[in-house]
Amino acid sequence: MLSYLKTTVCAAAGLAMAATSAIADPYADYSGETLVVNFPAHPHFDAVMKVLPEFTKETGINVEVDQLQYLKMRERQTLELTKNKGDYDLIAYVVFSKADYVYADQLENLARYFMNPKLADPNFDAEDLIDGYVANIGVAGGKKGYLPGPTGSLFGLPFGSETSILGYRKDIFEKHDLKVPETYDELLELACLIPELEPGMGGLASRAASGHHASHAFLLHLAPLGGRIFDDEWNPIVDNEAGVKAAEALKKIVNCGAEGSKTFGFAEAGASFLQGNSAMFLDSTVFAGQVNNPDKSKVVGKIGWAPHPVGVRAGSQTGGFGIGIPKNAPNKDAAFLLMQWLTSKKADKLIALAGGNPSRYSTHSDPEVNEKFPHMETFGEALKNADPDWRPIIPVWGKINADLGTTLSKIIVDDFPIQESLEGVSVRTRALMDEAGYYTWTQ
Amino acid sequence: MSVAIKANRLTPYLFLAPAGIILIIALLYPIGYMVYASFLDWSPSQRIGQAEFIGLRNYINLMSDEAFRESFWVTIRFAAVVVTLEMALGVGLALLLDRNIPGMAVLRTVFILPMMIAPIVVGLMWRYMYHPTVGIFNRTLKDMGLEGIPWLSDSTWSFIAVVIADVWQWTPFIFILALAAMQSLPRSALEAAEIDGASEWQKIILIKLPLMMPVLIVTLLLRLIDAFKVLEVILVLTNGGPGLSTEILALRIFRTAQEFQELGEAAAMSNVLLMLLMAITIGMFAYNRVQEARAARQRAIAEKGDD
Repeated sequence: MLSYLKTTVCAAAGLAMAATSAIADPYADYSGETLVVNFPAHPHFDAVMKVLPEFTKETGINVEVDQLQYLKMRERQTLELTKNKGDYDLIAYVVFSKADYVYADQLENLARYFMNPKLADPNFDAEDLIDGYVANIGVAGGKKGYLPGPTGSLFGLPFGSETSILGYRKDIFEKHDLKVPETYDELLELACLIPELEPGMGGLASRAASGHHASHAFLLHLAPLGGRIFDDEWNPIVDNEAGVKAAEALKKIVNCGAEGSKTFGFAEAGASFLQGNSAMFLDSTVFAGQVNNPDKSKVVGKIGWAPHPVGVRAGSQTGGFGIGIPKNAPNKDAAFLLMQWLTSKKADKLIALAGGNPSRYSTHSDPEVNEKFPHMETFGEALKNADPDWRPIIPVWGKINADLGTTLSKIIVDDFPIQESLEGVSVRTRALMDEAGYYTWTQ
Repeated sequence: MSVAIKANRLTPYLFLAPAGIILIIALLYPIGYMVYASFLDWSPSQRIGQAEFIGLRNYINLMSDEAFRESFWVTIRFAAVVVTLEMALGVGLALLLDRNIPGMAVLRTVFILPMMIAPIVVGLMWRYMYHPTVGIFNRTLKDMGLEGIPWLSDSTWSFIAVVIADVWQWTPFIFILALAAMQSLPRSALEAAEIDGASEWQKIILIKLPLMMPVLIVTLLLRLIDAFKVLEVILVLTNGGPGLSTEILALRIFRTAQEFQELGEAAAMSNVLLMLLMAITIGMFAYNRVQEARAARQRAIAEKGDD
């Protein structure tokens, strides 16, 4: 009888333990599964690769990564997402793909995962995620279709997102007793003063190459100078006073830039700064990882960082990547667990320490992270101004972006009149928007 | 005609039929697909069956698209300039090197090296050479105390820059075909001209070039078709800029499909390019037929002279 009782108690205890462990370990049901994810070849994701084995160790879930150059990644995803059953469980997507993927109903709405008590981690602390990043990369359906609002939903989480930041040469600024620019007037004055003080050196290294690069550089100045591409009724307003000022600012910066700056893309502008040919650099935070790498930089230890200068308002860039679960993913629940783990406080810090871009405020203020990367604290401050409406994330943006970028190139290179050229962009943009149906309810 | 004879006549066609059918399908299906796609409002996020049929709207939009019109004229200008220069230089080089002097075989091999380099590499190579500060051209100019040239940051110079790169890569193609054509000319005709006291220049103008004309026309056609489709070198060198000064049609088509995600419009552009190339090809084949007939008559006269 005693032995029967012992056996029964032991069996019950065993069952209870098994049940408890099943409840305590949300990963148990998925242990041994292999997830296939699609990431870009990008410094942030290189850092992620170093941290991923930790996930497998902790959860027993294997991860196979298909890492592609980002244009190739987009191409592959375009094919994958239209299949009935896809190969990818989790994808990273560049910010402007959000519009296409959500509109084509190819990304999972994340609400039902965060509602699922077996999957959602109560300690995830979503409030700690950087607001501007979440709005920019994750939310769709709200105000204008790409901004938060009562009708918005979450389709992805920021992962490798970026904002704009000002890098400057501390040694040059100290040598000439220059003040780090906080306003646009100060920035533009310095951009042309530095070549006078340091002959042969450009003021601010900026992108200006025809197309996307020129458009990107213009947008960097448009938001702080008070402009937008559209007003709230989708009327193109790129040719208003703020738009003209932003184009003037870009032209001035390029004219006072290093030799050849009219053809700079992101890489060339960065190289000009790293080679010591320009005194300032205003662009994405992703660049920060390179400045103290002696293989790439001649200015190791000479760079200071400051928030994007303020014009009539603060408005720094939002961009980069997010992660989402494809509608046709084979292992959606496990993919959510991976997504949640990758964007958790713990993983965000591990990735930051490995050289990636954090997505959380707490990581930016973490003492260990700040000790290794002192610029991270400034970046955390700058992120409060990350502007999710910095550029419209709508399906027709690609064409508008290209038109704007080539027009700006004509303004910079061939001295096309600014006002007239931007009016041309407005007219063509209106025609594109009209064809895409944006004025159906207002005409 | 007996059944056996009829069957014998049909046999070769029966043997050729499977390959012929595969060839026709492989050739025509993609073109048919492209024509069909040009009538759709189709983005890559849809299957082709889900795309909306919009008739001729893509073609109508193209007519009012300033960027397309600009690209169209850039393409025409680019093709005309590079093919003219390449033909002149390639034929000129062939005339110059059509002689038996020591080291000629090595020289000929060296001449055709640029053709062997991948276009992306050619683009990168020239991009570095055109670099404003470290590029060989501007460095040399500056060493000589001259101003550097804004190779890639000025609309006119960037067009010249892509022309130079293309001419550098493809002149050897003309050269090699022109040289082969020249070396297959009937020696008897040239010898007869020499006996008649014709100068070197007269032999070129009156005998060599007319006899080579059918080959040169085909060469010109092949190069022209290729010049209309050049993409990689320009993509890497200038990415179509500054402005749209070097954005040729192939690059516009690539952008429309890849960046703008408008496959229907890209297909319509491709069809316009295809029709343009077909018109050029038909025109040149017709002209070639006339030239071939003339060359045949000249050969006959030359050979008769031999007797």
